[in-house]
Amino acid sequence: MSAPGSPTGLVAHALVDRAGLLLAADPALASLNARAGGDIGAAVAVPQLATVARLARRLDIPVSRGVTVADEDADLELWVRAEPDGDAVRLAVSGWRETPAWRPATAVGSGMDAAFRWEADPSARLTFVTLEGAMAVGLDAAGLLGQPLTSLLVPEDAGPLADALAGRRAFSDRPARLRGSGRGVWLSAVVHRDGAGAFIGWRGTVRLADTAPAPTEPALPATFTGGLDRALRAPLTRIVANADSMSAAADGPIPPAYADYAADIAGAGRHLLALIDDLVDLQAIERPDFALAVERIDLADVARRAAGLLGVRASERGVTVERPNAGVAVSASGDFRRALQVVVNLLGNAIRYSPPGGTVMLAARVEGARALVTVVDEGPGIAPADQARIFEKFGRVDPGEEGGNGLGLYIARRLARAMGGDLTVESAPGAGARFTLALGPAPDGRA
Amino acid sequence: MSVDSIHDATLRAADARARADARLLGAIDDLFLPDDARLTERTRLMVVRLLHDTIGAIEAELRQRAARLLTATGAVAAAGALLSGPGAVARLTAAGLLRDEACVEALVARVRHREIADALPVAREGPEEMSLLVRLAAVPDRVVASAARALLAADSAEAAVLPATVRQRLIWAVAAAIRPATADMATDRAIAEAAARSLSVDGEDEGLDGAAMRLAAAIDARREELTPLLLEALGDRRLALFVAVLAQAAGLDYAQAEAMVLEPEGERLWLLLRAVALDRPTIARIALALSDADPRRDIEAFAERLDMIAAVDPARALAALTPDTLVPAFRHAIRALARTERM
Repeated sequence: MSAPGSPTGLVAHALVDRAGLLLAADPALASLNARAGGDIGAAVAVPQLATVARLARRLDIPVSRGVTVADEDADLELWVRAEPDGDAVRLAVSGWRETPAWRPATAVGSGMDAAFRWEADPSARLTFVTLEGAMAVGLDAAGLLGQPLTSLLVPEDAGPLADALAGRRAFSDRPARLRGSGRGVWLSAVVHRDGAGAFIGWRGTVRLADTAPAPTEPALPATFTGGLDRALRAPLTRIVANADSMSAAADGPIPPAYADYAADIAGAGRHLLALIDDLVDLQAIERPDFALAVERIDLADVARRAAGLLGVRASERGVTVERPNAGVAVSASGDFRRALQVVVNLLGNAIRYSPPGGTVMLAARVEGARALVTVVDEGPGIAPADQARIFEKFGRVDPGEEGGNGLGLYIARRLARAMGGDLTVESAPGAGARFTLALGPAPDGRA
Repeated sequence: MSVDSIHDATLRAADARARADARLLGAIDDLFLPDDARLTERTRLMVVRLLHDTIGAIEAELRQRAARLLTATGAVAAAGALLSGPGAVARLTAAGLLRDEACVEALVARVRHREIADALPVAREGPEEMSLLVRLAAVPDRVVASAARALLAADSAEAAVLPATVRQRLIWAVAAAIRPATADMATDRAIAEAAARSLSVDGEDEGLDGAAMRLAAAIDARREELTPLLLEALGDRRLALFVAVLAQAAGLDYAQAEAMVLEPEGERLWLLLRAVALDRPTIARIALALSDADPRRDIEAFAERLDMIAAVDPARALAALTPDTLVPAFRHAIRALARTERM
């Protein structure tokens, strides 16, 4: 698993000649081109790549562009850089991710309850401040532009904010005081990247501390989440269905931009449906009396079923999942449905962050008194500083990440602990990630 | 049926007939509107919002100031009438007074400018961490630094400022629109005085164009500095600075250069870029960035013509732009005449 949301690290190169023929290509590009019906020595068969290469050759300057390429059943998002080199054009293709699920607008981005919004460049100097809002809290906003973020406010705990700024990471609700008035505020920001994923600054908000920080514990009665589920599921399903048929232009031709909007609406609807599932789970696991009926289950069987459920997604991404052999059994005490939910979540993440052509190892074994399922991926890994955060509620390494809602791993760990076990991660940047679900031995003591 | 109600029904029928006719004319206009003249929904929405916000701000200012003046002289009832009158936007729209060429031109330019600036691909040249304007705001040259800070602030302002000439026309139009039908001499005087005050403070906000032109003049880029400055301004998404640097180099005013930069065809922009002697790779990079930001542009057609464009002699390019460099009133008159003769 990688830092969530970041594209895979793979950069594939290719060389295209003056006539648009593919002279050479790295394996990932060669196979993408072959699946589109092309070959080395023939014209580039992926139209979007051919277009970028031709444009770079005709303009005779480097051209960088994000493109979406249909690859068998899935759409791939690629970042293509084409650079003229004599008579030929060199292609460098990065990104390599499936067209992401609809991306939720982060609270930071809209900042409805923010006193003001700001943007900063990579040197953490302010390039934009909403002037009216800043003046309303007594700041000379225009005078702050071009100044370091820290000339605006004094952090209450300088360490974490300085770390986030130095590490070019997002941060949320860091306590601080405005310079001058000394008013308490909460400072949040998301990371702003260009199409190629390069860091270009932060976009953030400042909220007055008198407006309490977002509540950390939901105070939702079961009737509320239950009602939410019933009230929202049917209309959302309908919105998704209608938006899908609009996007497919089922009722006649519409401008492509509107078809795209409709596809966004459908994606947003699916995201909300998944969120409702998670909120219902969240409401259940956060009740003080939450307990799971623990029985004897076979973790190897759980792992094989999870691999079966996600087999299509894995093959779309070109990821191989190695699962426990059919004969293997690993007894543990747990709740079958919930254990399967945890492993599906872990495996889904591992597939999402694996490079195309990568392998995810799914293994079950007994170690001492515990039964373990491990999910090991070849993604870019998770920095030590982020390893605790990914298990927090709404905790994400990059809040701008598409898909997901920051609840999956939080719920998975709570479920593991409710079964008397635990969920842990070991990872280093660049070295993949290993998630381990550990459960107690089967109730009758047999392993 | 009484005579009154028959009369009423007849009037209503006539009214309905007139509205049906207006709808038909509107449908004909809509059907035969060329695609490239049609605003996108988003642009239309933003233009309408900018127009309403601008008029709303002027209206609130005039009503309150005039009401204060009236209250000070004891005319409390007149002040109350002024504060509660019907909105100026609806009245001016119905009267057709907002179908003003200069006003619509400025509104659309402001909105398109913002759309394109926001969509420009960010490109950082080299390892520099500080962005262009932040760096310029910190240089020792105080004229440059203060202009850079003013541009940072103008770019942060949420409401775009329309050109002074357009605002002046709008101020008087709004003054007329808020004037109650029963206005007495004191009310007229109060409104006129309030409008005069709005006009006099209006020159104080130089706006995005003013700040950008001040910075471009302060930098006063030499020929060899022009290419990196223009490319970095685009890469930092400071479209106003890009326009101003071009205008400064070619001796145009901001609005003229902006019109050329915003046009999707780009024909006048290519001439302008050649007039300031930019080379082929620079013109190609500018065209690529603008086409990435503006889906109306055709980069393939541009690539087709790039060699020809790059070969145009700078002096000839400048000469070809002469009609665009004339004083605005003369240009508008030429345009109006050409339009009538085309019909």
